[in-house]
Amino acid sequence: MSSPQHGAYKPRTKKPKATRSVSFSLPALPFPLASFLHPLRSASSQWLVLPVLLMVSILFRWAVGLGPYSGMAAPPMHGDFEAQRHWMEVTTNLPAKEWYWHDLEWWGLDYPPLTAYHSWLLGVIGGVINPDWFVLFASRGLDDVALKTFMRATVLASEFLIYVPAVVIFVRAFGRQADLSKYDKGVALAAILMQPALMIIDHGHFQYNSVMLGLTLLAVDCFITEHIYWGSFFFVLSISFKQMALYYAPIIFAYLLGLCVHPNTNIPRLVLLGATVIVSFGLVFAPLVVFGGKEQIAQCLFRVFPFARGLWEDKVANFWCAANILIKFRERFDSGMLQKASLIATFVAILPPCSILFFNPQKRLLPLGLAACAWGFFMFSFQVHEKSVLLPLVPTTLVLAGNLDKNTVSWVSWMNNVAMFSMWPLLRRDGLQLQYTVLTLLYAWLMGTFEHLPKHWFGKLVHVGSYVSILVTHFAEAFLLKGLLQEYPDLWVVANVEISFGCFTVAWIWVLWRLWKESRKGRKKPKRE
Amino acid sequence: MDKFHPSLRECAIAATAFKLLLFPAYKSTDFEVHRNWLAITHSLPVKEWYYEKTSEWTLDYPPFFAVFEWILGQVARFFDPAMLDVRNLGYDSVQTVYFQRSSVMFTELLLLYALQKHLPLCPLKFDPESSKRPAHAVALSIFLSPGFLIVDHIHFQYNGFLYGVLILSITLARSPSTRLYSGFLFALGVGIVGIIAAAFGPFLYWGQIPQLLSRLFPFSRGLCHAYWAPNIWAIYSFIDRVLIIVAPRLDLPINQEALTSVTRGLVGDTTFAVLPEITPRTTFLLTLFFQILSLIKLWTNPTYETFLGAITLCGYASFLFGWHVHEKAILLVVIPFSLLALKDRRYLGAFRPLAVAGHVSLFPLLFTAPEFLIKTVYTISWLVVFLTAFDALVSPVAVNTRRFLLDRFTMVFIIVAIPLIAYTSLAHKVLFGDRYEFLPLMFNSSYSAVGVVGSWVGFCWLFFSA
Repeated sequence: MSSPQHGAYKPRTKKPKATRSVSFSLPALPFPLASFLHPLRSASSQWLVLPVLLMVSILFRWAVGLGPYSGMAAPPMHGDFEAQRHWMEVTTNLPAKEWYWHDLEWWGLDYPPLTAYHSWLLGVIGGVINPDWFVLFASRGLDDVALKTFMRATVLASEFLIYVPAVVIFVRAFGRQADLSKYDKGVALAAILMQPALMIIDHGHFQYNSVMLGLTLLAVDCFITEHIYWGSFFFVLSISFKQMALYYAPIIFAYLLGLCVHPNTNIPRLVLLGATVIVSFGLVFAPLVVFGGKEQIAQCLFRVFPFARGLWEDKVANFWCAANILIKFRERFDSGMLQKASLIATFVAILPPCSILFFNPQKRLLPLGLAACAWGFFMFSFQVHEKSVLLPLVPTTLVLAGNLDKNTVSWVSWMNNVAMFSMWPLLRRDGLQLQYTVLTLLYAWLMGTFEHLPKHWFGKLVHVGSYVSILVTHFAEAFLLKGLLQEYPDLWVVANVEISFGCFTVAWIWVLWRLWKESRKGRKKPKRE
Repeated sequence: MDKFHPSLRECAIAATAFKLLLFPAYKSTDFEVHRNWLAITHSLPVKEWYYEKTSEWTLDYPPFFAVFEWILGQVARFFDPAMLDVRNLGYDSVQTVYFQRSSVMFTELLLLYALQKHLPLCPLKFDPESSKRPAHAVALSIFLSPGFLIVDHIHFQYNGFLYGVLILSITLARSPSTRLYSGFLFALGVGIVGIIAAAFGPFLYWGQIPQLLSRLFPFSRGLCHAYWAPNIWAIYSFIDRVLIIVAPRLDLPINQEALTSVTRGLVGDTTFAVLPEITPRTTFLLTLFFQILSLIKLWTNPTYETFLGAITLCGYASFLFGWHVHEKAILLVVIPFSLLALKDRRYLGAFRPLAVAGHVSLFPLLFTAPEFLIKTVYTISWLVVFLTAFDALVSPVAVNTRRFLLDRFTMVFIIVAIPLIAYTSLAHKVLFGDRYEFLPLMFNSSYSAVGVVGSWVGFCWLFFSA
């Protein structure tokens, strides 16, 4: 029988290679996802793992995409789909100097330049297929089936050009240093690719988060394979695609800074890294400046960082929103005060993971570090969206590429399940109820949520408690207490926020604790690399 | 069964999730056809079932299927009674779509049951223990077949249920004690596509048989269905089209009438310009001849394996030579053949082109852009996974001279599929726009016909030489 610890970071000094991939008699890992990859263990069929996984990923993503998207047939403003389409319209029809100024009331461009270039490229391609899709002004709010198919295809293509290769490389590199067998690596890859939250936001709700996440992940891949300058370059690209990647910036900064200090101070490296970052930003902004003039930089930054907006927009399961039922922050304090408070709270929250990474700049701590830092931002920073949960969630799931024991799998899948639940109000607004239900249940089942709970009693309590309260909330919202809704229209959303916030707090602590434990592990033994 | 990974149950759960996501996908007129039948059987007395014609989609399946619709109607009224109104043409509320789509998935459970219950015992080899693994792979391949996904869960039909009945009857026929049930079930199963006396009793009594038969057997329709099914007649039509170009040089007489009405080979009557006309009688006699040929073999050698082979060959004969054959009917061949595909390497060799051609021939059913990725990627993954798995599981044959040639043929054939799909789905549109719409269809079905006929020849050789 397999030990529950297979694939863990156990020291395997005597056997350099894991034995699982060689042995045919070993049973599958104890969750259904692993069962599907079981027949592909043998050396003769291992080549199938990657193509089949990629094809299955395409199928599920595309099938989700058959459903509605944010703002479909919802005038007057529509939603994120229209925003993305509108940016293609703006960038292909107007000179660069107008991109960040054009009719800002109608989905004005508020992402960094790389998104603008990306939109321009897609707009040019789409314009060849059907010029009507991106006619200035006339195309606003278009709900064309062919347009939808094209837009869905662009998300899929972008993801498969950036995020998916980054994940594949990551699982290979990270799995190798964690000594995972080929079979385990395949399972981890499947678990990461089938992540429901990213799938439903990008292919259901409609966004290009996978590009930003993929670029960050490429940066991590470079760090793991010791190409730190390329890594910094990719991370700059990630920030330049979507400012949300800044959630990761402190931890990556701490890691790189740590590399310049440990084991001994390396000033040239520090200078080179700084230069790389500056040159990368220069490259990203160059087209905008060349075609639009210097003043574009200020306007771009002004659009990208919306401090003029409030502490939050829609209800989101972070500290501010959750504590709001006790303290009415926005009424009691002015916005400048709240900005300072959130800045300080965020700083305190990200300090522990950043110091761990600074003092132990080890590759294997990167996923947990990214997750811990992003959780800190999610919990305490300004202007958090419910979709931002992807930022901590994706690196948390990446942990599976280093460890597939039952305990880790159950925690990671739990976080994915709760994250899906936290986005329910948004997905319901988009009309994605079917896709939400199917994807959540499918992933929960694939990862053995229904069979395994964490080892510790506290974990058991939290998991069972959260699943029960999630089910009760859904059930009550669907069948009961319709009358209550008239009185408290936000009841379910508030319940959702409180439950999710409780779970996310535990998730954050789990990630921090795990990071702490992993960093200690490296201390006791001599470094393997 | 459960000791093999992934188990049938696990595959069924994952497949169900995927099929649920396909609820919003394209659905063909068959969706409305079945909704109309629901309405007819639910709201009208039995006497009027085969006379009702408010909708153009009159009831043209045999009585047992009508009863099946009647039963579904009993549940449907709890979802949305409006779908059960005969006058509500083209009605497709969310509830109606969800109900009809899930009824397909629910009735398909019979197929799952048949596979789970009986296939592990299917004697592919003499040693029952070693045959379990291949049988398991076959069961998965049938349940996950792209045929069912394309035809049932997107296009919309109830083939999963139908083939559940078929497989149940085939497997029950194996053991002597259950042979009787098997006959009964088979009659039921065939009844849905063919004939069964019991079902027609009441209609005979009411004197409605001619009306019923005219509905069931549409000889008034053309030789080839709208999208030519890949059979002998598709190749025949293709040769005819080629001959139109070549004929003047060979001094062959051309039927000018056919030229002008070269209906682009699509709808209604197919008339041939150079080759002789085909009558329903010709197709009937040809079908009968090839079916009887396989039955004679079964008579002389009544083993279970010969029985499976004979079923497959009867399916082949009806598909290849029948009148107005639908491309969906290819499943009549693919599914029984799957049960034999792992018998040995030679059978697998004949199965491969059929698996490729049969499923590629279903592609024109889904012509909408959003479903393109689903049908192609699903079919390709199914082919890659199961053809590789079958290859690994099949027992080798000691001496086999035909293998070399056949394998090369299969290889070339499969590779040709890639440019073909690229042309039919993309290149043609770019090159010609909406003109020559028949061209991609013709290429597709001629290509598939070559595969189906090739596999048929191979299978016949194996069957009659065994």
